[in-house]
Amino acid sequence: MFSLPIHYDRSWLSQMEKNIEQDTGWSNWERFQLALEAAQAQVVPAFDSILSLQQIYGFEPLRHQIDVTRQVIHEMRGRAILADEVGLGKTIEAGLILKEYIIRGLVKKALILVPSSLVLQWTRELNQKFQIPAVAQKKAWMWDKYDIIVASMDTAKREPHREFVLNSEYDLLIVDEAHKLKNRRTKNWQFINEVKKKFCLLLTATPVQNEMEELFNLVTLLKPGQLGRESQFNSDFVESKRKAKNEEQLRDEISRVLIRNRRRDGDLNLTKRIVHTIPINLTPEERDLYEGVTEFVRSRFQNGAGDLKSMLSLLVLQKEVCSSRDAVFHTLFKLFKRGEEGNEEISPEVAHLVELLRKVKTSSKVEEAVHIIQQIPDKVIVFTEYRATQEMLIRALQQQGISAVPYRGGFNRNKKDWMMELFQKRAQVMVATEAGGEGINLQFCSHIINFDMPWNPMRVEQRIGRVHRLGQKKDVNIYNFSTSGTIEEQIIWLLHEKIQLFESVIGELETILEKLESEESLEQSLMKIALTSEDPHQIRNRLHTLSNQFHQKKDEVVRTKQEQDERFYGSTTS
Amino acid sequence: MDQQQVRSFTERYLQYQQCQVIESAPSHIYTHLSIEADKDLLNRPMYWMYVERMGLQPNPSHQCFIFDAENPPADLKGEYVFYGCPRFTQLLDSAQKHGKFVRVYQDTGVFGMVSRQTKPYSPWLVINFFVSFVCDRKRDEIWSLGIDLQTGAIQEQFDDQIKNTNWLSRIPAKRYTEEANMSISEAVGELEYYLQDRLQNGELTWAMEAEERLQQELAQLDLYFPDDASLSEEQIKSKQDRRRELVWQYHPRVETRLINAGLFYRDKVFRYQ
Repeated sequence: MFSLPIHYDRSWLSQMEKNIEQDTGWSNWERFQLALEAAQAQVVPAFDSILSLQQIYGFEPLRHQIDVTRQVIHEMRGRAILADEVGLGKTIEAGLILKEYIIRGLVKKALILVPSSLVLQWTRELNQKFQIPAVAQKKAWMWDKYDIIVASMDTAKREPHREFVLNSEYDLLIVDEAHKLKNRRTKNWQFINEVKKKFCLLLTATPVQNEMEELFNLVTLLKPGQLGRESQFNSDFVESKRKAKNEEQLRDEISRVLIRNRRRDGDLNLTKRIVHTIPINLTPEERDLYEGVTEFVRSRFQNGAGDLKSMLSLLVLQKEVCSSRDAVFHTLFKLFKRGEEGNEEISPEVAHLVELLRKVKTSSKVEEAVHIIQQIPDKVIVFTEYRATQEMLIRALQQQGISAVPYRGGFNRNKKDWMMELFQKRAQVMVATEAGGEGINLQFCSHIINFDMPWNPMRVEQRIGRVHRLGQKKDVNIYNFSTSGTIEEQIIWLLHEKIQLFESVIGELETILEKLESEESLEQSLMKIALTSEDPHQIRNRLHTLSNQFHQKKDEVVRTKQEQDERFYGSTTS
Repeated sequence: MDQQQVRSFTERYLQYQQCQVIESAPSHIYTHLSIEADKDLLNRPMYWMYVERMGLQPNPSHQCFIFDAENPPADLKGEYVFYGCPRFTQLLDSAQKHGKFVRVYQDTGVFGMVSRQTKPYSPWLVINFFVSFVCDRKRDEIWSLGIDLQTGAIQEQFDDQIKNTNWLSRIPAKRYTEEANMSISEAVGELEYYLQDRLQNGELTWAMEAEERLQQELAQLDLYFPDDASLSEEQIKSKQDRRRELVWQYHPRVETRLINAGLFYRDKVFRYQ
């Protein structure tokens, strides 16, 4: 007969005997009853319910996120690879699973390893969304002091931290960006393999990037033997490095440890994006300044100043002149100062530019921004790349009685939170120079003005992604300011018309860019095109060629991904 | 637990912990915590250590607990309390900490006053066990068991039997308690043995399934790391580690903890209803 081990704790008995003996320390009947009621509130009544849903406040997990939680806990027994595509909320899923285990008393000690840039974001998300008392690991003494720790993998695997981690036992280990564990010969893999863990979640959007062995290695971290021994895996499933055989059986094995929701599977309900290109016509003075700067940049570039660094600062100038006079002024001033240090006279070219700059008294873009914002009876976020532009814009908006707050990467955490709150509760407009980084979630706002346009598509997508994301209830309006007859107009034409960056999310954009940028970054290519073309016509032709290359890479990436999805995860999941 | 239950629990907690309630509304309670409650709820051991070391006048904190997030008080800064938030978990823990042991006497109301002769009470030990069935999953039950310290008779769901009676901390006039025939630790042993027997003969499918999963996983591990000379030092260690993790994850067992325990002196008349 099956014998069930039962553990009793009797440490309380001596206390009660002491109470009887000395006739002290008694509680009373009401408190006794309240204690029992408190315990009743902590009872987990069934093995397979999901309790965390009743114990979170302020947001509602999506259908597929709840399904993942249930599947990981009740079918995969707490060891799983969460491989949803980007943007489906793997963090939420991991948070729900952690919360559920904490409520059930199955997890007390947990370690969450993430890239160092995400440590704070994870900590805040767990604290705020899930009320999980996680702390960000900063000092070595913290390892033993706290139960739930978020740390960077790079820190954790190095001494003195390594020893603390390997001497602990974690009820749950979560590793974000787990594709860094695809190689069994790396320190990362060996470290994670050595950590003592009861449950384990590996989060990655790309469980297989290149070779099938990567998947084998990930699964081996969770459950060595799940896919057989390596030799057996190779003979059973691997046709060649990138090609599988016995695909159905392989899919079946994989589905026991890996969950992948794809965008079309998920019930995301993302709203529409409506793109408006706003042509801006420069005043004659602005036009003179633009031509002046362009001429200056081209001549500098052709006169041998072709090294990367000066090329970059020239590029900045070229981009700034499409943003605002103030932004140009800032850079010119620096150029001017650099001249002074070398005891040179200020060059006649720079002096000429300063002269042109002085004549510019108005900004067509700012006027348009004010005009558009006045028509919108709602919150608006304005993105610019330049701080000088940001300040100028805020001044101009305030003069018109429009409340606007700034947001910069340089603000400390408190100030960022404060600005975010002001924007949500009081101000109509936020003018931001940064879209990346943590904590900018602007679902309450549905109008974006791209006051100037980054030349890097990732940064553009990041901007839009702040607003057009899970939880956005309205269609999102995107206003792209495009200065007629300038390089800006050409770049927007490329991003908008040719690579369709704005209407919808380009899946795998990062991977496509990586492939496209194998020789030089897209920004550099664009800069060369801008600086070395004879005329606007030639620029357009070269941008056209570039966009063809983009689409070629995009097709490749999409095809590879589809093949992998078919092969490893089947056509439908969950 | 819905918000109303959370609120009523909090209110009773504050009352029993002798916290002064300054303002009470359906949406919130504003209170001056007692020293004990401050220590349990506010995580500031350094402050309390400092106060006690230096012999200072203790100054427990004022708190505003909000139960209706839509309608917070206009003039008070407070904290939203709900089932699942850390503050309420602390409240639940603190309530259990302060209701551990009682010795109480059944209140038979006016009956005792008018009676001419003294009447006996029979002694019972009551234990409320928090019983957790644990493998890679978990569920809990509360077992409330009472044992007659004179006869050794055991009754289940004792909490139901005693909850509608009033229990006094002091023995009323004209009452006396009869002697127990067993020691407390003997009685605890009896209850533990009884519970073990009941659980062992209860629903065990979950445990057998977990044991089966464990054996399957161990077998899979043996296939991956076959016990032969080909295993490297490192692989042997990996295998041992993994074995340990599997047992940790799946091994089915029952863990119990004490919620609270009490000596209950019951009116002899009601002994065997």
